[in-house]
Amino acid sequence: MSNRGLQRTLALLAVGCVFAPLLPGLVMMAKPMLMPDIWRQLWADNQWTGALQATLYSTMISVGGSLTLCLILLCGLWPGAHWQRLTSRMPLLLALPHVAFASGFLFMLSDNGWLARLCGVSFHLDENGVGLGILLALKECWFLLWIASTQLNQQSLSQQLTVAQSLGYGPLQSRMRVLVAQLLPRLKWALLAVVAYSLSVVDVAIILGPSNPPTLAVLAWQWLNDADPQRVAMGMLTSMLLVVMLVIFSTVGYAIWRLSRRCLGQFSGKRHQLSILPLALGSGFIMTLTGVAAIAMLVLWSFADGWFYPALLPDAFALSGWQAAELSPLITTLVLALASSLTGLLVVVLWLEGGSSRFDLWLALPLFLPALPLVAGQYQILLVMEQDESWLGVIWSHLLWVVPYMLLVARPAWQQFDSRLTITAQTFGWSPWKILCWVKLPMLIRPLLAALAVGFSVSVAQYLPTLYAGAGRFTSVTTETVALSSGGDPQQQAIQALLQMLLPAIMFIAMRQLSSLFTHYRQGLR
Amino acid sequence: MLRVQDCSISNATRSLIQNMSFTVSPGEVLTLMGPSGAGKSTFLSWMIGALPAEFSFQGELWLNKQRRDTLPTARRNIGILFQDALLFAHLNVGQNLAMALPATIKGREQRQYYVEQALANAQLTHFSRRDPATLSGGERARVSVLRALLAKPEALLLDEPFSRLDQTLREQFRQFVWQQVEQQAIPVVLVTHDPQDIPTGGHIITVNGSDY
Repeated sequence: MSNRGLQRTLALLAVGCVFAPLLPGLVMMAKPMLMPDIWRQLWADNQWTGALQATLYSTMISVGGSLTLCLILLCGLWPGAHWQRLTSRMPLLLALPHVAFASGFLFMLSDNGWLARLCGVSFHLDENGVGLGILLALKECWFLLWIASTQLNQQSLSQQLTVAQSLGYGPLQSRMRVLVAQLLPRLKWALLAVVAYSLSVVDVAIILGPSNPPTLAVLAWQWLNDADPQRVAMGMLTSMLLVVMLVIFSTVGYAIWRLSRRCLGQFSGKRHQLSILPLALGSGFIMTLTGVAAIAMLVLWSFADGWFYPALLPDAFALSGWQAAELSPLITTLVLALASSLTGLLVVVLWLEGGSSRFDLWLALPLFLPALPLVAGQYQILLVMEQDESWLGVIWSHLLWVVPYMLLVARPAWQQFDSRLTITAQTFGWSPWKILCWVKLPMLIRPLLAALAVGFSVSVAQYLPTLYAGAGRFTSVTTETVALSSGGDPQQQAIQALLQMLLPAIMFIAMRQLSSLFTHYRQGLR
Repeated sequence: MLRVQDCSISNATRSLIQNMSFTVSPGEVLTLMGPSGAGKSTFLSWMIGALPAEFSFQGELWLNKQRRDTLPTARRNIGILFQDALLFAHLNVGQNLAMALPATIKGREQRQYYVEQALANAQLTHFSRRDPATLSGGERARVSVLRALLAKPEALLLDEPFSRLDQTLREQFRQFVWQQVEQQAIPVVLVTHDPQDIPTGGHIITVNGSDY
């Protein structure tokens, strides 16, 4: 076999191992859709409509809220020093895991949380999924801002803005007509990911969402875990319905976009000089404040030695909570995350070398689809292969999300690699493998380490795959935080949430140190 | 009448413009010449009101007896052409032009009529519904001139607008620009490093960026 053919085969094999078994799993999941019985039972279930309502509300608030916040910040602050300051805060708030953020948010805003103690009112956050929606909006906005900022780094956009302003259009109007109109289409995949995530999130919804009835995703999750096969089928059907809802949401979103695009192309010639700088500064401040306050809540709780309602601060501080903390979830998480990110790196490198970038979008599909049906589909396959409850099975199930994120990070670097260097190495008579190991990988060490850190943090944050593929035998910091959230031990929950936050943070710092070590000796790699 | 009075621009390391003063009458073209990096474009971005934050400046800009340098870009009523045509990629050619038309031209049909009129004037009849990306470099450049002038600016700034075009197109486009500007009778400031860009009879100021 030629070298090229071998490369291609290996790439397909690596990616195939991660993705292919999913298809029969999804077919199994879809089966209940053809059973009228199950539909009837679902219709008759008394929790179903309430759950649907909660999911609709939380998803609409999450998607609408995060997009609105993102546009307010963009139209108010870009380009300029305020925008720079906002993006400099982005890495911290982006890297803060959802479950840790939700835990801190809960300590702040629950019925006996910190704000309730301060103001003497309770917020009833869990009603109808409103609190869940708000939390997701605040968190996903940073994701949208990040994607937007990667699209803004071109001079022509800021020059176009100057042209629009020289035509007389004011700060808000020029940004709406020029920036938003061109940026929104480029945010479509990110928005789809936000919709999919909001529809199917289970971990955050358990911590913060409504409980009776819960959201649709949580309900489906409970049914899937039921011993009764009828219930399991109802769970499968409900999780497939999440996919249908995703399609409906994106169709409606697309229709709204088509309509508003027509309006954005009509010009009556009226000029407005409105600026939303104060609103944007306020929004940015609140978003940063919630993130920082959530972390502060976690830290306070973890060192609290007795903290009872309605005290604003703990009675005393002590290390007893940390001394009593269960550390086995930390070890499990570390092993799972290291194994899946290193395996993921191998898959990604093989794919980048032998695969075609045309299919990248297909590999990214898990990011745009509700996680629940995918996880349940994976589990069906693991059952058949008798790999549920095994380390291998859990690591494999993590890879479905680890690989796409790593690919997202590593692909641009791979594309920018100067192909003349490869050609030069070829003229030495080197084989592609030798070139890969001695030229490409060493030169791309920084993006590869960054991808590794991202893969690691994605694995740490996995809730459903860990619980499901591990059949409940694997306890990670994430599953432990969620489990503790209903157990009434806020201190231990805070500690596990902090560990969940610190693990990826330490990995990011370690990878950055390692990168700077390489670039210290070879400045051209910077 | 356009008047710049004692304008100085500098950043942390360099002084780019020192005590620049000049006046440009309606219909006149003033050319700023100088090597690249001398601060010509930076000076134009001060005039238009889009100077990057790392620069500090002083001086005054007056246009038709009104001080303009204290106003935001949108209220200076000064047009600008960059090196690139910078047509808005999400709008068609007609919409690009309609965006520039003042609100005093009311009604969709009336506005469309003005747009068609302007296009015909530039030998671009039937271009209204075209995607800007499908235009040739010369066509794009002409549309950008039309767009800048349809907004009825009181002055026009040209930031090396000819340099991206090849030799033959460049000459045609220069003729087109001077002809259009002449009809408007407004002061024009041109920045270039190509002596051939200077229109006959125009004044010239040489800019030399100097290190501290």
